[in-house]
Amino acid sequence: MSIKRVLIIDDEEAIQKVVQFGLQMAANWEVLTASSGPEGIVKAQSSQLDAILLDVMMPEMDGLATFRELQLHPDTQSIPVIFLTAKAQAAEKRLFNDVGVNGVITKPFNSLDLPEQIVKILNW
Amino acid sequence: MRILLVEDDEALIKVLTRRLVEHHYAVDAVTDGVAAWEYASTYEYELLVLDVVLPKLDGISLCQRLRAAECTTPILLLTGQDTSVAKIMGLDAGADDYVVKPFDEAELIARIRALLRRSSTNPLPVLTWGELWLNPSTCEVTYADEPLTLTAKEYALLELLLRESQHVFSNEEILESLWSSEEFPVDATVRSHIRRLRHKLTAVGAPPDLIATAHGRGYYLKPLFPEVSSQGDRPLGGSDLEHRQHQQTQYLEFLNQTWVTTKEKYLQQLRELQEAISRRLDATRIASVGNACFNPQQQDAAYRIAHTLAGTLGTFGLSEAMRLCRELEQWLHPDVSLLPQHVPHLEDKVNALQRQIELTSTIQLPEQPSTTAPRLLVVDCDQAFANALKVIASQQSFYAEIFPTISNAQDWLDNCPQPPVGLILRLLDTVSTAALQFLQQFHQDYPTLPTAIISSQDDLSERLEVVRRGGTCFLPKALTPEQVMRAIAQQIQETSGQQQRTRVMLVDDDPILLRILPTQLESWGFEVLTLNDPLQFWNVLEAIHPDVLVLDVQMPQVNGLELCQVLRSDPHWQQLPVLFLSIFADARTQNQAFAVGADDYLCKPIAGIDLANRIRDRLQRVRVWTR
Repeated sequence: MSIKRVLIIDDEEAIQKVVQFGLQMAANWEVLTASSGPEGIVKAQSSQLDAILLDVMMPEMDGLATFRELQLHPDTQSIPVIFLTAKAQAAEKRLFNDVGVNGVITKPFNSLDLPEQIVKILNW
Repeated sequence: MRILLVEDDEALIKVLTRRLVEHHYAVDAVTDGVAAWEYASTYEYELLVLDVVLPKLDGISLCQRLRAAECTTPILLLTGQDTSVAKIMGLDAGADDYVVKPFDEAELIARIRALLRRSSTNPLPVLTWGELWLNPSTCEVTYADEPLTLTAKEYALLELLLRESQHVFSNEEILESLWSSEEFPVDATVRSHIRRLRHKLTAVGAPPDLIATAHGRGYYLKPLFPEVSSQGDRPLGGSDLEHRQHQQTQYLEFLNQTWVTTKEKYLQQLRELQEAISRRLDATRIASVGNACFNPQQQDAAYRIAHTLAGTLGTFGLSEAMRLCRELEQWLHPDVSLLPQHVPHLEDKVNALQRQIELTSTIQLPEQPSTTAPRLLVVDCDQAFANALKVIASQQSFYAEIFPTISNAQDWLDNCPQPPVGLILRLLDTVSTAALQFLQQFHQDYPTLPTAIISSQDDLSERLEVVRRGGTCFLPKALTPEQVMRAIAQQIQETSGQQQRTRVMLVDDDPILLRILPTQLESWGFEVLTLNDPLQFWNVLEAIHPDVLVLDVQMPQVNGLELCQVLRSDPHWQQLPVLFLSIFADARTQNQAFAVGADDYLCKPIAGIDLANRIRDRLQRVRVWTR
């Protein structure tokens, strides 16, 4: 498998760093970071991404709104999106599934496991 | 990393240059704005440090001019003006950071480091590549925990490669980044530095091509690790386990470093939460009303803090803190009103959470089950022993699912998303009927998985009962958790080794046998590579590195006995299991075969299953010998 380029959108800088560390260390993937939905959308439009990891709860523009915005842009609508969430209730997972995200990864996680989880979710 | 320092104070230039060089930066220094513009337009820099007050062209104007010319190099402004207006003017002119004189040199270097990190593709505070670690804040470099002593240029070269680890650096790029414009190194200088750096790296165990050469293009860091496999369920083999353990260690170090810098932020968020709760409770008391409702905005803000902290603290492995956050999150959910019975406990919960964070100075391995770590099922009513086993299991990249009773374990097995890789059954004294039934059922469900039974009754009848029900490992109760884990891990490794396809090299001049046997063996999980020309033996052997060799005796030009002698004359191949397969059933030929190094001798015709069993048996013996 070639090196993947993944964008993590999360307002929590520590989570960005931890995800970045895990994806680079365990799989040597390239990781871009964004701290908000709007910043992430701009990066997604210009960065030729293989996947986006998107935090659900962010101030101002939350993960769902960001996802919907990504779906509206021709440049970004085909990029697979995986939600990162600290919620794991079945109802919320169903909601995420209904809106069409590719998968959900629940916090907390060991970021070294993330590449395998992403590979499984996206059938890479 | 090359930095342009623009400062009209010669004394300050001297001090700063010395300090930057100590941190392995190459420095060009100029004393006026016009010269700075010329240097910045001519050479490539990773960072510009500009004084605001400069002769000929001031720092703010220079900054604006550079940005107007689409220069994206990070700019740090140095100035004596400590006013918001001055700072805003500098930042609006395009500067990335602003440091007020007099400044602390260490802080300035840290800010430079942070700016360089932000502009690189690897913005992490510690740069790593597999087992290679470079810490820019301490300038320490290690490979597999072995420290490396590097010259300033070697260090800078390695840092450059690590910062842009997916980039191939040409000689020109390396020269421009590592040497100041006053030095005139030639291409050969880069080559000799690369050579010396490789030499130092290999001396501490790094592969010789860690810094790889792209001929005609330059140098880059060669990816070390196998790419992530989509077959994530494959059990981990020995080297995988070691690699994984090493990664876990590095991950833990990274979490600790990040924790040091972010802990205060979480405490601050908690203080905000505490204040909101206190204000609310005070207002309630003053108004003498029983219900301490937050207004929706307050409750939403408090909920968000609790929610974010739950995910983040959990990722740092603070499981108790995460539990408290989850509880608060549930109470403060914006869709429900805060229940009166929760109100008196809000402050206590937040205070407890604060204590948890304050007391955590070192991050331990995260306790939450790793989603992909292989599960080890443990039934043990001795809590202390089970906990010790859990810690040791996690150090070996297993996640121990521990249950005090057989029925708990059975419940888990009935619902587990992925099967365990082994079972440890540690019983009170004797092996009960229920335990034996559980063992038998487990073996029926997972016939290939190792099962360790720990019992204080150590006699033949008990051992017999256990093996009859599928137990693969019988251990006395006196063993320590480390010894138990070692025994089961060894069996798991062997099982995982067996599950990986065994590569069999079959050398025979009989075309029918070469056609039939591979098909038969493949159905038993072997990968078979055939060779009908004994003269090609060595080339093929070296190319495919088989796990087992099957040789015919009689072949044209070179016979199998000679091939076996050639093989055994090389120390590297002395462990390779060799089975002869021949039409000669006489004792003399068989003895000759064993004399030249055969491990087994079989006569044609042979059924695929018989050959498969003999190969498997031979491999198992080899594994036992090489333990």
